[in-house]
Formats: sequence, structure tokens, C-alpha cells
Amino acid sequence: MGEALDLGAGVQKISEFVVRVPLASCTLAAGADKVLESIKKALGKLGLDARVKKTGCMGLCYLDPWIELESSGLPPAIYANVKPDQVERIIRRYVEGDLSDALAVRGEANGFKGVPSLNSLPEWRLQVRYVSRNCGFIDPESIEDYLRTGGYSGLRKALKLGKEEVIKVVRKSGLRGRGGAGFPTWYKWRIAYEQRSDIKYVICNGDEGDPGAFMNRLLAESDPHRVLEGLIIAGYAIGASKGYIFVRAEKPLMADRLEVAVRQARDYGFLGEKILGTNFSFDVEVYRSAGAFVCGEETALIAAIEGRSRTRQRPPYPATSGLWGKPTVINNVETLAHVATIFQTGLEEFTKYGTERSKGTKMFCVTGSVKKTGVYEVPIGTRIRTLVYELAGGLPDGRSVKAVQVGGPSGGCIPADLLDLELDYETLQSYGAIMGSGGLVVIDDTNCMVDVAKYFITFTLAESCGKCLPCRVGVKILGDILEKVTSGTATIEDLEILRELGEGIMKSSLCALGGTAPNPVLSTLRYFKNEYEEHVVMRRCPAKVCSRLVTYEINPVRCRGCGQCAKNCPASAISGQPGKAFKIDTSRCTKCGQCLITCPFGAVVKV
Amino acid sequence: MVKVYVNNDEVEVPQEALVIDAIEKAGYEVPTLCYLKGLFNEATCRICVVKVNGKVVPSCRFPVSEGARIIVHDSELIRLRKINLELLLATHEIKCWSCVRKGMCELLSLSKRLGVEGLPVCSECPLQGRSCLVLRGFPCLGPLTVAGCDAECPRRGSPCIGCRGYITSEDVWVRALEEFYKDNVSLNELKSLISFFWSYLPQNLHRLVREVSNVEY
Repeated sequence: MGEALDLGAGVQKISEFVVRVPLASCTLAAGADKVLESIKKALGKLGLDARVKKTGCMGLCYLDPWIELESSGLPPAIYANVKPDQVERIIRRYVEGDLSDALAVRGEANGFKGVPSLNSLPEWRLQVRYVSRNCGFIDPESIEDYLRTGGYSGLRKALKLGKEEVIKVVRKSGLRGRGGAGFPTWYKWRIAYEQRSDIKYVICNGDEGDPGAFMNRLLAESDPHRVLEGLIIAGYAIGASKGYIFVRAEKPLMADRLEVAVRQARDYGFLGEKILGTNFSFDVEVYRSAGAFVCGEETALIAAIEGRSRTRQRPPYPATSGLWGKPTVINNVETLAHVATIFQTGLEEFTKYGTERSKGTKMFCVTGSVKKTGVYEVPIGTRIRTLVYELAGGLPDGRSVKAVQVGGPSGGCIPADLLDLELDYETLQSYGAIMGSGGLVVIDDTNCMVDVAKYFITFTLAESCGKCLPCRVGVKILGDILEKVTSGTATIEDLEILRELGEGIMKSSLCALGGTAPNPVLSTLRYFKNEYEEHVVMRRCPAKVCSRLVTYEINPVRCRGCGQCAKNCPASAISGQPGKAFKIDTSRCTKCGQCLITCPFGAVVKV
Repeated sequence: MVKVYVNNDEVEVPQEALVIDAIEKAGYEVPTLCYLKGLFNEATCRICVVKVNGKVVPSCRFPVSEGARIIVHDSELIRLRKINLELLLATHEIKCWSCVRKGMCELLSLSKRLGVEGLPVCSECPLQGRSCLVLRGFPCLGPLTVAGCDAECPRRGSPCIGCRGYITSEDVWVRALEEFYKDNVSLNELKSLISFFWSYLPQNLHRLVREVSNVEY
């Protein structure tokens, strides 16, 4: 990733001491603001004349909060999991030339005095930082930083081409929508371009709501101008006069940064009347949604901007009749960032990655039971195994992977023996999952798959807009049957009803929310049928998760009679005499699991 | 005008017509519930689904296109309609004996046409509303009994004795028991009636009765 490094070169040449602190929602939650304060204090105390630079996030969440120190004569060093009280020591030792606390250094290929190079770490080396190239390097609230890295050169290039030429370039790149369905981007643009209308709109869909997906937030918080540039290019290509960036209100920092970016772009003449001396006039508004999951769906998103919030039947598709009945193109945050990067760096840089049918790279969020949670940008077609075991560092010790949930609540569970699948749109679809926005939740062997399916169905049920019957009632009944399965009252016919009802909902629902909602149930039924059957027939939860099917017992051999469990039991279900083995009264036990946590000898077991 | 094929019959319809218009013009019928021609076509009930070029779509909303091949009925479509109808009935309070529609109800006639099971005899009874036997205090088991006999006994003024077997839905039982309790049908009388055929008794009948009447039973 030598290239990504050069991007920051404009800053590096200055011979001064620079401290970079990432300020994004994720690092702030980990305490980056306190680290920033203590950095300022430490610099004053040490009498160093340093520049504190706020950046976005690199996407390596397990390092949060990290800081980067840089001084002339020394390689830039990254320190991970920094606590406020460590800052002073770290800075002092760095200035003295002792980098032993650092996680990695940037730039030096072979490392520096035993500290490895960032490029030698697998989670960095195996990534292709294409669209996220600036994340963690530049100040997201500074347009100058973005311009220094080649920003808005893509817009300049696009404005020199004709509108059809721009669409042709996107067509040649083979870029497909990064929001989930993988619809060819150029095709949407082409349809909207061909519509005869004096007013057209482009909308950037930043309503990322899947549990376990945050790549759009990270991208827009760390490099908002790239998204904006892509939106302006899209607006130019279809002949739009107004653009919206639709952001969930639950991501206020993302909306703030995009608003700052819009203001700066206006000041620099990239937005407004007659952009860069051409006849193209365009303006952008950041729209904060109330945060309904269904608004990620195109027609619901449009309805939300219009002041309602319900899906409607397509066709007409938004590209012919969208916002206020005008032709509207809706693209995902990441798609638009890709557009900007394609125009900045040329087609070849983009098309050399990916598979035959899907070109380029995709950001994936790997969460759940892995050592290194984070956002990883890899070429499309990378194997799930590579992502989980090499980039994300595998599972915590002693755990083994049971399934990988791909694509959030609309996606499906891929079982462990299919980990060698390639991550692309078609492959995932044929195995009952979808790419979705790119969230991968790794599920280990301590989880019950029926419980996982129930979790996702509960989520979709709460987020269903309630307009069409199959989604409103069908998903509720799916949830009821799953509840029956997990409490051991279901019959074997119920499993058949689950499958038939699930398929019925997918076929006859109005929008994509209902059309994909049964995916978690159907995919777990397909790959983990034995687990469902064990719940139903044996009335047993093999992973010992479903509390109704689990009883707690005290192993009399291990129990030392300390009485800790009895003290902590909220239902007073444990009795016994000190020194002798205690007993759980199963009729009073509420199965809260407190005894299991408190027992110092591991005598409490789930049966 | 565009040409479309409804079950292989060629019809010509205006450019802006909906699939349902083409189906009607070809002389076929598709069941609908929420669709009101010219007033409401938000496609929410999903009963009118048909296949256009192999894709399942709601006919009341989907526009026609040149050369579209429309299939009005096949086994999959009928199954989907039945699933959706059952979902609708699952949220519907079946209280036919006191419903103002008196059996003139699209939901019931459609359920009967599509062969949805689990509706009470009341759904077929001509005595619904004010002349209902239950409302008049007779111990008629119509509210609890599976329909299909065309309500022969109540039609002739004699209370239903439940020979077709009882409905398995607990909700229906609760509502029916409430009705009986309100009309002071003696619970012992009811019990002897219910157990006449020994065909089905809900496992938790005692709990249901307690829930409804606060009477130990």
C-alpha cells in the first residue's frame, strides 16, 4: 500500500512533529476524545511544538483508540489501544527514538528496530485500500487535505467529458451497486439520463441499518468529500439539479461531516451555479432520517424525504418516477465513492481487481466472534475464510466457527464447511445469503442457530413498515413459531410451516425488506436442520442457549459449599449448608444464569 | 395499445392499463381484497398476485408491457394466495355470530373458494346477526365447530351439536366461551355438549373457562 502512503506525503514533508488522532464515532466511543485531551496536555508538559491532526478511522476497530506519531528522522509509528495516562510516556519515548511500544511503523518495508511495518501485518497487507485509501490519513473536515490527495480531479475529468461519455466510463468499469443487490450502476444512470424531465434528482443512500455493518459510516466520516464528489459526478451524468445525502439520524457525526464537506465544496466552487465554469449547476442537501431500517429501501427512502415513510410497489422505478415524481437515481455511499475514485485514478486501477462479473473492491465489516473486528476492503471474490482467518485473525482461542451470517437481517447464514465460498453477488445468492451492504457476523459454536434466526426475525418484525400483509403478519408468525421451537413446544409440522411460509413471504412481499426477511430462517433451516429437529423432537438445545430447554445443576463433586450461588440467586432457588454441596430447586429456578457466573469453582453446569 | 397474453389468449389494452384490466378484458377473474378500482391500488393484501413473465406481481398495481405473458392461476399462485389469506384470518377476530356483515363477507367467500380450513360453522350460517341462536341463548356449538356442512342444523332452527369436530384455535375458543358465558349458558351443559362426540377438546379447556368466566370449572 505504498500508494496510500504517498497520499499523506504533502503533510509528511514538513519537518515537524505531528500527532494524528482518529476522530470518528467508533474511536470516540473507545475514548479518543480523552486521548486527544491528554495529548494536548502532554505536549504542553514536554514543551514540544507539535501539530495535532484530527483524522478519520483506518477501519481496524480492534486497535481503537490508536494514535500515530510522526517526526522528521523517524518513521511514523502507530500505537494501539492507547489509554489517556499512557500518552505522555509514549510521546516521550518516541521523541527519544524508542519505538518499542508501537504496534507498527508506516513506510519502512522491513520494520524499524524490531517494530514491524504496517504493510507486513496480514490485516493490512491483504487489503486493497481502493475506496478507503484516505481513511485514517486525512482530516475529514479539511477540503485542502482531500485536494492534496487528488480530490475533485475526478470531477474535473468528468466535467470535460459529455454526459453520455461519463455513463460509458462507468459502464466500462463494470461497477455494481455496493448497497446489496448489485444492480449495474451505469444502467440506473442511463435510464434516468434518458428521461425527459426538467428536474431530476440524485440521492446518496447513507441509511445503513444492518446490525454489524458500519462501512458507510466509516467512509463518510473519514472521507466525506469522496462521497460528495461521486454524488456530483452522478448528478452531472443524469442531468440532475439537486442531490440529497440521506443519513440516519443515529449517525450524527456522519451527517455533520457531510454537511461540513458540502459547505466547503460550495466555497471552492464544486457546488452551486455553473460548477468549474461549465453550464452544470448542482446543489446538495444532507437529509437526516429518523432512523427506520425500511428507509434503506429505495421507495421508502424517497417517501421519507417527501414526508411519509412507506414503501410502494415498483414499477415505476425511481429512475423513471422517483422523488416528487421526477426521475431519481439512488446510489449507496460506497458506490458513489467508487465513482469518484474511478474518475480520479482511471479505469485500469479499478478493473484489475475483482471477478469476471463483478469488478473492483468491496468493504466488509467483520464482527462477532473474531479477534480483530474491523472494516476490511478486499477485492470482490475473496474467500470468506481469508477474511475471517487471515484478515480478522480468526476466532478467540478455543472457539470454532459454526456459521458466518452475511448481509445482515436480509442475508443468510453460511455454514462452516462452505467457508471457501467466494464473496460475490451471484455465489452468495445461490447459497441463500446476499452480499447486502457487506456485514459479516462470525457465529461460533456457543451460539444456537435457532436463537440467531429468532434474533434477526425479531429485528425485521420491529422494522417492518406494516404496509403489506405477508411482511406484517407473516414475519410475526415466523417469529411466533421460532419462539415455540426455542421453548420446546413446537411440532415437526411447524418446521414445514416455517419453510413454506418463509418462501411464501419472499415471493409475495411488496418490497425488498419482506422479500428477504425470511432469509435467516430459511438458510438456517437449510444448513442446520438437525439443530431445529433436536429442539423439536428431543426438546433439547444442543448449544445450551435456549433458556426454556436448559436446566441448571450443581455438580456435587466440584461444589465446595461456599454459598456464593445461593447469595446471588434472585429467585432464592438455591439452598444448602455451608461446606456441603448446594442444590438448585428447578421449580423455582428462573434460569437467569447468575449462579453460573458467580461460582468460583465451575460447579454449576447447564444440562 | 399494447398486446399482452393472458393464459395464452391475446388481448389489446391501452398503454397505461394495469395487469388486472387485461385479465378482466380477457374474461378471466382474479380474486382481490384491498383493490378498489380507481380508488385504491396500493397492493397491500397481495391476494391478487399473478405471474407476469414468470415473476410474481400484484395484478392490481403492475402496469402492462408489450408482449407480457400473464398467468392468472397456477398451483404456486393459489398456494401464495392461500398463505396470504390465512395470514389475514390469523389477525382477524372471527365473531361471525355477531358480525354486522351477516355472512355477506368477501373474506369468508374467498376463504371458502380457496379452501381455507378452520372457519366456524357461523361463517356459513344464515342466522347471523340478530337471529343467531347463540345470541338468543341457545347452546349452539356453531362458533366452535369446523365449517363445511353449510350450517344445516341452525338453518332449520336447531342448535349445532358439533358433529364436524372443533376448531383448534385457542382465540376462537376464548371468544366463543365469552359469548356463551354472557348468555348464561350453563357451563356444565356446555361441557356435556362439547364432550358429546369426544372428537377434540383443547388440553387447557379448564384454563380457558377460568380465564373467561372466573368460575372454577
